[in-house]
Amino acid sequence: MTTIETPGTPPPPATATRPLARKRSRPSEQLFKWLVMGLTAITIAMLIWLISSVVIKGAGSLSWAFLTDKPSANPEKAGFNSALRGSVVLMLITIVFAWPIGVAAALYLEKFATQSAETTERKVRERLGTGTGGALAAWLRVRLWWLRVRPRVVRLVDVNISNLAAVPSIIYGLLGLAIFVGIMGISKSLLAGGLTLAVLILPIIIIAAREALRAVPISIEQGAMALGATRWQAVRSQVFPAALPGILTGTILAMSRAIGETAPLIVVGGIVFGTAVPSLNPLDAGNEALFAMPLQIYFWTDQPQASFQAIAAAGIIVLLATLLVMNLVAIILRNRYSKRW
Amino acid sequence: MLLALAAAAIISILVTVGIVVVLVSEGATFFTEVPLTEFFTGTEWFPVEGKYGVLPLLNASIVIALIAALVAVPLGLGSAIYLSEYAPERLRRVVKPVLEILAGMPTIVLGFFALDAVTPALQNILPGLGLYNALAAGIVVGLLITPLISSLSEDSMRAVPNAMREGAFGLGATRRVVSLRVVVPAALSGIVASIVLALSRAIGETMAVTLAAGTVPNLSWNPLEGMQTITAYIVQVSKGEATRGSLQYESIFAVGLLLFVVTLAINIVAVRIVRKYRTVYQ
Repeated sequence: MTTIETPGTPPPPATATRPLARKRSRPSEQLFKWLVMGLTAITIAMLIWLISSVVIKGAGSLSWAFLTDKPSANPEKAGFNSALRGSVVLMLITIVFAWPIGVAAALYLEKFATQSAETTERKVRERLGTGTGGALAAWLRVRLWWLRVRPRVVRLVDVNISNLAAVPSIIYGLLGLAIFVGIMGISKSLLAGGLTLAVLILPIIIIAAREALRAVPISIEQGAMALGATRWQAVRSQVFPAALPGILTGTILAMSRAIGETAPLIVVGGIVFGTAVPSLNPLDAGNEALFAMPLQIYFWTDQPQASFQAIAAAGIIVLLATLLVMNLVAIILRNRYSKRW
Repeated sequence: MLLALAAAAIISILVTVGIVVVLVSEGATFFTEVPLTEFFTGTEWFPVEGKYGVLPLLNASIVIALIAALVAVPLGLGSAIYLSEYAPERLRRVVKPVLEILAGMPTIVLGFFALDAVTPALQNILPGLGLYNALAAGIVVGLLITPLISSLSEDSMRAVPNAMREGAFGLGATRRVVSLRVVVPAALSGIVASIVLALSRAIGETMAVTLAAGTVPNLSWNPLEGMQTITAYIVQVSKGEATRGSLQYESIFAVGLLLFVVTLAINIVAVRIVRKYRTVYQ
């Protein structure tokens, strides 16, 4: 450091030019750094403890037979096969219902709902002015009304989606129990569970798909429209394909949330003690008892015998491995196919 | 086609409407048989004898959420400060996703961990601790919400412009002082909101508390005792065969409604905090 000396004043005392570096080595500085580092380390250590305790407990029970055997009251013979099949069917049903609706909602909210309505409004008014009557006129009036209320509805949907994402998952179970099982009369089956999970991840898919769509620069869309495409064509053949890797990444992450959900499935379907092996055909899902990896793990964990704890841990290893694979696929998708604009 | 897209967007509103209608209508049937005053002031929850005082369940949810906060606030804030102010960039890019693994962990796994590892470890320190206790449940729920706090807090800390840090360094402040007196206050709205959101997540948490805290309603503030939360009660009834239309069946919707209202209120508070106290920096 250079000290600027003004003539006439004495040079400042030595203590005032104490180097700043010394301050950093004060004990309180070091202590604080170690404190925040330690807190981070504790969190990571807990995660390591969690995973290692599960692996140590369950690795011994893990075998090919464990994956292919059906459930049994005897922990030595009990297998994870029904749970695996159940989870596969659940995921199929969930994706079939949640994906199209979620992506469609995201497309509408991100690409159509916020566009200026002036041109459309003028066209509709012109057609109304030509003196059409009957059903067509009524329809045109509905469209005019919609254009007027649209901004308010969109704002409502916005707030609503972020609130839905924060609703506890067990509440979705109650919804599924009352609507799918109670009112629609679907039995407490894989179908009822899959539909419930679809509702549960719908807001997550919408949020992820909107982010992916937002990441595509507006110039892509404008370029297409400048070449004569309609907005619909521009979105369908330019924006949507460009956003697809991002949408798929978000979808896989939403699925990895759904595959680990336990509480809503218990509320919808209860706990199955049977030894059935559900069919992998999703069309049969309405008649198949509700099996799923997390349900089976819960059932085993809830048993008092220690040998059941071991196979519960083995089940957890399988579940965590599935999650790991799903997340890896999502990361690869994102890294390989996402473009930097 | 556009119509179909718009319809899809509206379905999300129908979900909310569905949740509210289901909870309120089934809950209303329940409250015709159990008066609201009894529900909110009764200190005993014992459905078999027709005693429906929700305080023990609500109390258990709050006790466990508070223990979780006691665990998660120091861990989460400490990690956030370390990652945002101290850690080298390369380390940060590794540590942050690792922490987020905890947030994506299925809660059934945390329940197993509580029952199988945390409670036995606690029993070594506190002999006489029962198999089911609120402490272990609170600790694992705390672990679950730690990444929520650390991630959101770190984001808002990193949004504090560097000029503010450099200004403070220029005045001779140390890194600790910059972190605690400049960055944390500037990011306070985000930090508080993250803690509030984490609390709402903790109250709605189900599997870990069902497995670790047990299924006996118990109006107590003692974390060493077992207690049944709102969510654990819903699971307990769903596991059995409560016939549709019975008072017990309706009771899970009534407590579900309470849970929905509480978490919604907490979320609204979080949004308000952010909106009111947020400072936007260029």
